[in-house]
Amino acid sequence: MFKKIGHSEIAKLLSEWSKESTVLVPTRADGVTTWAKWDGRDVSFLDWYRNTVVPPKSFLLPMLEEMFRFQKGKDGYSLELPPSDGRKQVIFGIRPCDARALAIIDLVFREGYEDLYYVNRRNNTTLVGLACTSPYDSCFCTSLGSGPGDARGVDLMLTTAGDQLLIEEVTDKGKELTAGASGLGKAAEADLISAREAVELASRKVTRQVDLKDTDKALLANFEKAEFWEDIAAKCVSCGICTFLCPTCYCFDINDEMDRQGGARVKSWDSCQFALYTRMPMENPRVEKWRRVRQKVSHKFLFYPLSYETTGCVGCGRCIRRCPVNWDITQVLNSLTAKVA
Amino acid sequence: MTIADTSQRPRFFARGNVYLPHIVVIEKVIEETPGVRTFHFNFKDERLREEFAFQSGQFAEYSIFGVGEAPFCISSSPTRRDHMEFALQRVGKVTNALHRLGVGAEIGFRGPYGNSFPLDFLAGKNLVFIGGGIGLAPLRSLIWNVIDNREKYERIDIIYGARSPADLCFKYDLETWGKDSSVNMVTTVDRGDKDWTGKVGFVPAITEQVAPSAKNAVAIVCGPPVMIRFTFPVLAKLGFTPEQMITTLEKRMKCGIGKCGRCNIGNLYVCRDGPVFSYAQIKSFISSEY
Repeated sequence: MFKKIGHSEIAKLLSEWSKESTVLVPTRADGVTTWAKWDGRDVSFLDWYRNTVVPPKSFLLPMLEEMFRFQKGKDGYSLELPPSDGRKQVIFGIRPCDARALAIIDLVFREGYEDLYYVNRRNNTTLVGLACTSPYDSCFCTSLGSGPGDARGVDLMLTTAGDQLLIEEVTDKGKELTAGASGLGKAAEADLISAREAVELASRKVTRQVDLKDTDKALLANFEKAEFWEDIAAKCVSCGICTFLCPTCYCFDINDEMDRQGGARVKSWDSCQFALYTRMPMENPRVEKWRRVRQKVSHKFLFYPLSYETTGCVGCGRCIRRCPVNWDITQVLNSLTAKVA
Repeated sequence: MTIADTSQRPRFFARGNVYLPHIVVIEKVIEETPGVRTFHFNFKDERLREEFAFQSGQFAEYSIFGVGEAPFCISSSPTRRDHMEFALQRVGKVTNALHRLGVGAEIGFRGPYGNSFPLDFLAGKNLVFIGGGIGLAPLRSLIWNVIDNREKYERIDIIYGARSPADLCFKYDLETWGKDSSVNMVTTVDRGDKDWTGKVGFVPAITEQVAPSAKNAVAIVCGPPVMIRFTFPVLAKLGFTPEQMITTLEKRMKCGIGKCGRCNIGNLYVCRDGPVFSYAQIKSFISSEY
């Protein structure tokens, strides 16, 4: 179902959502685009907003979280879970790529033994997507079967349609947000056409392309070739920023931290780009940098396709924009297939 | 049926928040070698002592609160359930702290995780167990399981080695199996001493010498990565196909349930898809990832 809303009505809508949920919106802080809890600030025209530096995965997989606390008493150890954070959250303005990324993390965190820390938060989260109008030149979502208006992964999809926003109700969860909301109008055929044109215009601005047809074959064929990977990894400084800012990267560490009240077992972001990540006391399969770079590329473009029939990359371009040495995944992927051909 | 087919194998699934450990109590500590100890333990919760079930080959995450968690296999057999056991070598932060624990100490335990040895696939076959050092721990769970159901299996060979006589783990088991007429036991050391009367040589070389027949046989291999890497080619030379070679692997497994990301070999996670694998499953990645 399609509805529409005038820009001036957005604040009213967010105010209604805020009664039951924490509403997160894109904001600018000292020139950096980030997320903030909506506090009445004006987000009616997000014309300055392209995408946030840190992806919204941080609201589902916090950088650091206490899983439980432990304390030693007279009768031995007692464990205590953190108070349940059952509050709902709405991520307003999430980009299609970042929403798809969460659907990709779902594949791992919902399968087999569920990770309840993620799953509970995910179930309490509603994603309100905002179609892109000005993609970065590092974006390459259209090469991954997606695009600036891709609604797979969001619950509601907002697209600019003339001087209004078209609202697509994608899921039942999305419908819950629009049900009974004031200020929504019925979308006309002309609005749909206008929105489609806006998305097409944005799609044409995504000029960076990768050819993924034989990427998995090329990765498998070259998996054992050290020189091949040393060449690809040469300028990488192993800072790990590509993984921290990647919307699909979810790897974490578990550690115990002590404090005056006892201690806590803590989950924290980790990165396959650090040699300590795979270190065992007697062995470490990825001491050399090229093995770690190989892991990152292979995980997203070989292992994910093998296990889940999707790539583990959504083409958001953050790893290209934020790399301190301009390591470029699209260049690597294109050279990979070129080398095999 | 192949080893990869785990669908028919019973699995005990922990419910609720799987990261929350159960409390278990150390009941006995055995000094296996100067650096290896076996711990006998039981659940503090009486109900869990009854309900908890596991299969040979599965592992668990053991933790000392305030120090951290580490994965070890359950080294006892599910056929002997008055207590459970795990064995570990003192090498890192958690294992050093565990070695300082005595009887009565409480630790965290969550599991069992991973798949298990394919008992259905092994039934009716000749079994060749090849172990090195502490690598006997997971094999030991299966060996006792097999001995306790002896009629289901054909010939049993055990080839076990360690660096020196002092480094042989589970000496009490080696002695029992050595006396068992239904088991062919070969023990070897890399370097003997003046009292050593057994074989001297690396496990792969001794395997080649013992030359177990590949006919209707399955080899189950566990030891240090270097031993595993050199044993597979020997088995291949003896006629074992990749499907007839089974191993159980160890990696840094933090979560134990396929989420934290670090224990993969190719697209397989040791914790989620293993730790028991056939060589056929992992051969395309193993030479550079293990």
